[in-house]
Amino acid sequence: MATIHSHPSPAEDLSRPLHERYHAAHHFKDREHEFDSVKMGVWLFLGTEILLFSGMFCAYFIFRLMHPEAFLGGSHHLEVKWGLINTIVLLMSSYWVAAGVRHAQTGNQKWLQINIILTFLAGAAFLFIKFYFEYAHKIHDGLLPGKYYSYSGPADPYEPLWWGVYWASTAIHASHVIIGMGLFIWIFLRSRKGHFGPGHYNAVEGVGLYWHIVDIVWIFLFPLLYLIH
Amino acid sequence: MSHAAEFDEYGHKDHGHVIVSLFTLRFILIALLFCTLLTSGTAWAEQLVANTFHVEIPQWINAVVALSIAVVKTALVVGFFMQLKYDNPMNTVIFVFTLVTVFSFLGFTSLDLGNRASIDRFKNVYAYPGGNLSAGGAVVPGAANGDSIVAHARKTGKPSHHVDRENTNTQSITDAGFLREEPATGSSPNFSRPIGGVTVPGWPGYHAPKSAHAEHAAPAGEHKPETGHDAAAPKVTPEAKPDAAPAAKPAH
Repeated sequence: MATIHSHPSPAEDLSRPLHERYHAAHHFKDREHEFDSVKMGVWLFLGTEILLFSGMFCAYFIFRLMHPEAFLGGSHHLEVKWGLINTIVLLMSSYWVAAGVRHAQTGNQKWLQINIILTFLAGAAFLFIKFYFEYAHKIHDGLLPGKYYSYSGPADPYEPLWWGVYWASTAIHASHVIIGMGLFIWIFLRSRKGHFGPGHYNAVEGVGLYWHIVDIVWIFLFPLLYLIH
Repeated sequence: MSHAAEFDEYGHKDHGHVIVSLFTLRFILIALLFCTLLTSGTAWAEQLVANTFHVEIPQWINAVVALSIAVVKTALVVGFFMQLKYDNPMNTVIFVFTLVTVFSFLGFTSLDLGNRASIDRFKNVYAYPGGNLSAGGAVVPGAANGDSIVAHARKTGKPSHHVDRENTNTQSITDAGFLREEPATGSSPNFSRPIGGVTVPGWPGYHAPKSAHAEHAAPAGEHKPETGHDAAAPKVTPEAKPDAAPAAKPAH
């Protein structure tokens, strides 16, 4: 492989793992430059993610101020225990991601992969609780947004609005969890090939940041949706 | 670690990257879990207090406590798990700028919510899917059942710039059945703006407002309240007597 570098680089030594042979893209000065740029790009993306969810928080704010009783009544259909367990699951997964980034930085391949698997399983557990214990019951009871609302029990006339906010915010959050799990599969496969190590772990860091933002959104959704009384 | 040292020789430095210790990460995790239990615990305790002492704790207290803890948790996640504490300050700027934007969304929204009725009263109604009045929305006087506010306004109203304020049969499209009570002087604690055009007497286009004096003068001159009440009183008493008489008979 032809090189424009003037000095012999460990990148040419094929006996070394991939993350040590990694070249920054040619438009970056070096790996450090690339790492900082990638990370800032991820942060800009996370900014748009926060703005995406802020729309739902605004809707929550408006409709709760207008119809507090509907939100109170709607929230009582949710079980606090599932929200609490899911919060703990996501916080644990956030720790595993942060520790995974640390293992990538120190070149601990085994624990990097273990932490990625643990995070993936935590995401799966979150979705299982969400879909099996929560969504399935809501769908069965007809607790759906807008015109699909068909609950037979007593309810505030504006409760469909609450269910609109609930379904939109939790479903878009859940879709982020699904996307994050897909990204962790990609990270896991790449880490198996030795792509990540002390000199290069941009993708682990970026996906980790994304996962943390998903966690933070849930940190706000949990009290706002489950703990109204 | 040995890798990093080797790379320094070749100019691939990792000098900017802080490796957060596992101890710190675990400490933060425990703090986060504690905060989570604190959030649920306070919500539970509030309910317990409310039920035990039969007091009603306003919703905003619960919301403020829960959101304050959520903000602390976010700070921990962002600062340590996302490493913003050790990171390029530009990333913090991006994050904070986003938060400022979010607060501007919430701020303008609350301004809107707080001032809905001050200009057009019909806007001070609940949002309802489809705006269907028959399904529990706002009641517009004279609207056909099921007509939305907009449909009703289209049928009965005129665009606001065509409104003839002298003719009460037409109404502004923005009034849509909620004709504002117009203060006689053009300003009141709720409205401080000219009503119906120029407010300077003598200028072209000036219409003298229906003043309080003019409205009170006419009824007061026609019949005085005291005499009217006195005159009605003797009429009522004879009518009441036949009703009382049958009730008294069974007793005798």
